[in-house]
Amino acid sequence: MEEKYLVCEDSIEGVFTGIYEAYALREGHEHIHIQIGEEGNLRLFATYINIEPDAVKTAKVAQTLRKRLGDEVYLYICRALAAQDRMKGEAVYKTVVNGLSKGGGRRVMENLADTHVERTFELARSAANEALRYIEIVRFKESGEGILFSKIAPKCNVIPFIMPHFADRLSVENFIIFDDMRKIYGVHPALKDWYMVSDSDNSVYDMFGESDKENEYQELFTAFCKTIAIKERINPKLQQQMLPLRFREYMVEFDKK
Amino acid sequence: MEKLNILADAAKYDVSCSSSGSSRGGNAKGIGNTVSAGLCHSFAADGRCISLLKILFTNECIFDCRYCMNRRSNDVPRASFTPDEVCALTMEFYRRNYIEGLFLSSGILYSPDYTMELICQTLYKLRNIHHFNGYIHVKAIPGADPALIHKAGFLADRMSVNLELPTAESLKQLAPNKNRKSILKPMRQIQNTISANKEELTLYRHTPRFCEAGQSTQMIIGATPESDYQIMSVAENLYQKFSLKRVYYSAFVNVNEDKALPALPGGPPLLREHRLYQADWLLRFYGFKVDELLTDDRPNFNMRIDPKADWAVRHLELFPIEINRADYRLLLRVPGIGVRSAKRIIGARRFGNLNFNDLKKMGVVLKRALYFITCSGKMMYPTKIEEDYIVRNLTDDKERLKFTNDGMRYEQLSLFS
Ligand code: SF4
Repeated sequence: MEEKYLVCEDSIEGVFTGIYEAYALREGHEHIHIQIGEEGNLRLFATYINIEPDAVKTAKVAQTLRKRLGDEVYLYICRALAAQDRMKGEAVYKTVVNGLSKGGGRRVMENLADTHVERTFELARSAANEALRYIEIVRFKESGEGILFSKIAPKCNVIPFIMPHFADRLSVENFIIFDDMRKIYGVHPALKDWYMVSDSDNSVYDMFGESDKENEYQELFTAFCKTIAIKERINPKLQQQMLPLRFREYMVEFDKK
Repeated sequence: MEKLNILADAAKYDVSCSSSGSSRGGNAKGIGNTVSAGLCHSFAADGRCISLLKILFTNECIFDCRYCMNRRSNDVPRASFTPDEVCALTMEFYRRNYIEGLFLSSGILYSPDYTMELICQTLYKLRNIHHFNGYIHVKAIPGADPALIHKAGFLADRMSVNLELPTAESLKQLAPNKNRKSILKPMRQIQNTISANKEELTLYRHTPRFCEAGQSTQMIIGATPESDYQIMSVAENLYQKFSLKRVYYSAFVNVNEDKALPALPGGPPLLREHRLYQADWLLRFYGFKVDELLTDDRPNFNMRIDPKADWAVRHLELFPIEINRADYRLLLRVPGIGVRSAKRIIGARRFGNLNFNDLKKMGVVLKRALYFITCSGKMMYPTKIEEDYIVRNLTDDKERLKFTNDGMRYEQLSLFS
C-alpha cells in the first residue's frame, strides 16, 4: 500500500491537526506518517498532504487525549512537541495511536519497549530537562522602570513550560522572557496572568535599558560566584560538565570573563 | 562589595547548598516560592552548585576551632552585615533569579545569644517586611537560647547544627569551645519541634510551619582519624535517631596550616568524600544498612569502585537476577540500575518481557549491570563471573581523574594503610 505523509507545521496545533486528519482518513495507521515541515527528498510512490493548523480540530484532539490518556500523558506529548527534533511528529502520532487504539491507555508512556513511545519519552525528557535548566539559569536584568527582562536561546521551546514557575515565584513583578531563537516573548504583568506574544525581530527587547543599580548587582553576584569556589578544589572540567558552555551566554556571572 | 567577598569567602566551606525539601506556592503579597526538588542556579569554578546566597552574618568569632578560618586566633579581615544589608542582597539576587534563597550562617559575635538574635532579626525582616517567601537555610548557633532557635525555625525552611567532627574526642581536640552536648541539644530540640509541628499541622492546617525542609548537619572528613565505618554509622544514627534530612560530608581543607591537623599534600580527600556521599545515597534511597557496606575488618570504602558495586561483587552468590521477575528492592541492588531505571523496568515489563536493548533505553548502564542480570534467563553475553575480573571492569578511571589531581594518590593510600 502507498505511504501517506501528512506535512504539518512545527507546533502543537500543527501536529494535533495532523493527528485529527490521520484518524479522519480511516485507513489504519500503518502507512500514514506525520512529517514536520517540508523535506528535501520526496519519496517516490508516496503521497504528501499539506495540513493547515486548525484550532477547532486541535481542541478536539487535545480534549480526547486528556480524557482518554490522562493529563500526565498529555503533558509528555506537549513536551515532546516542544523539543527540537524533526521526527517528533511521527513519534507523538504513533504514541497516540498506541495509547488510543492499541490499549496502552493511561499507561502508554510506560511501554518503553515500543520505539515511538520511547522516542516521545526521550523527547519529552529532553524538553523537560531543558525547561528545568532554564528555570535555573534565566537571569533577569532590571530596567529603569523596574521591569525585569531576560533573553534566552534554548534548543527547545521552553517558554510555555517556564512561565508558570516564574509567574508563581515573581507574582508581584512585571517581567518578560524573550526567546531569541524563536522570537517569542513570555510576558507577565504584575499580579495578572501571563501570556505569550511573538514578534519578527528583537525590537521590543531592545527597548529595555538597564537601571542604575543593575550593574552593581551583576558585579556583586559575579564576585560572589568567584569567591564561593574553594581554590583547593578548582575543577573547570567538572564545572563544564555541570553547566555546559552553551548555557552561559546570557548568564551575567559568566558574561564579563 | 568587600563585605560580601569576606563573608562569602568565610562561608564557602559549608557544603550544604541544597535548596530542596520545601514545596510552597507563591503568594500575591510578596515574592518567592520553593521547589521541592531544589534548583541549582549556577556552578562555581570548583564545580559545586550555587543555589543559595551562602554567607556568614559575621566572621567575627569568640571561639577558636582549629580547622576554621574565622577562629579567634587568626588574623583575617573581619566584617559583619547588618540585617538590612542581608535583606537587600537576598531580595535583589532573588528577583534576578541568581539564587534560590539564603543560607545564613555566622561566626559568634560577643555571645551565641547575641548572634542568634541578629540572625532572627534578619529572617524576621526578610519574611515580614520584604515578604520573602523563598528558601531560607539558617544555622543554629550552638549554645544559643532555645527560645531563639525556636523562633528562627519558624522563619526558616531548614535549620542545621554542624556536628563538625564524627566523634566527641575529635571535637574536644579540635573545637575546644564546643562539645557534643551543645551540638546535639539544639539538634534534638529542632527534631522535637518539627515533629510536634507536624502533628499540629494535621489538626490545624494554617499553623505556621517549622523548618518545613527539615534539618541537616555536616561533618568534616579527613581532619581526624575516624574510619568510613565510624563516619557512616554516625550518619545512620543521625538519620534514624535525629530524623535528619541530610548529612553532608566536607573534605577537609587545611586553611590554617595548623600543626594539630593533617597536611594533606595531595589536596582535600575528594574521592573519599565522594564515596561517603555515594554510601549516604545508598542508605537513604536504596535500602542499604551501614553494616552491609562496611565492617570492623573492612572499615573503609574501596577507592577503586563505588560502594554499591563493591557490595555486589562481594555477594556474587545472589546474582544473576532475572530482570523480568526480580522485585524492586533487588533490582535496586544491581550496579548500573538506579531508582529511576528500576521503576521504569517495573512499569515496562507489564507490557511484555524485556530484553537488553529495552533496558538500555530505560537508562540501565549495561556495561556495569551485565555481570549481575539475565533477561528471560540469558545473560547479555557469556562472561567470567569472578570477583577480580568484574572489579577491574567496573573501575571507573574517569572518576578517579575527576576527584584527584594525581591518579596515584589513592593507590598509595591503600597500599600503606
Ligand atoms: S564557632 Fe568555630 S567553626 Fe564557627 S566560626 Fe567560630 S571558630 Fe569557626
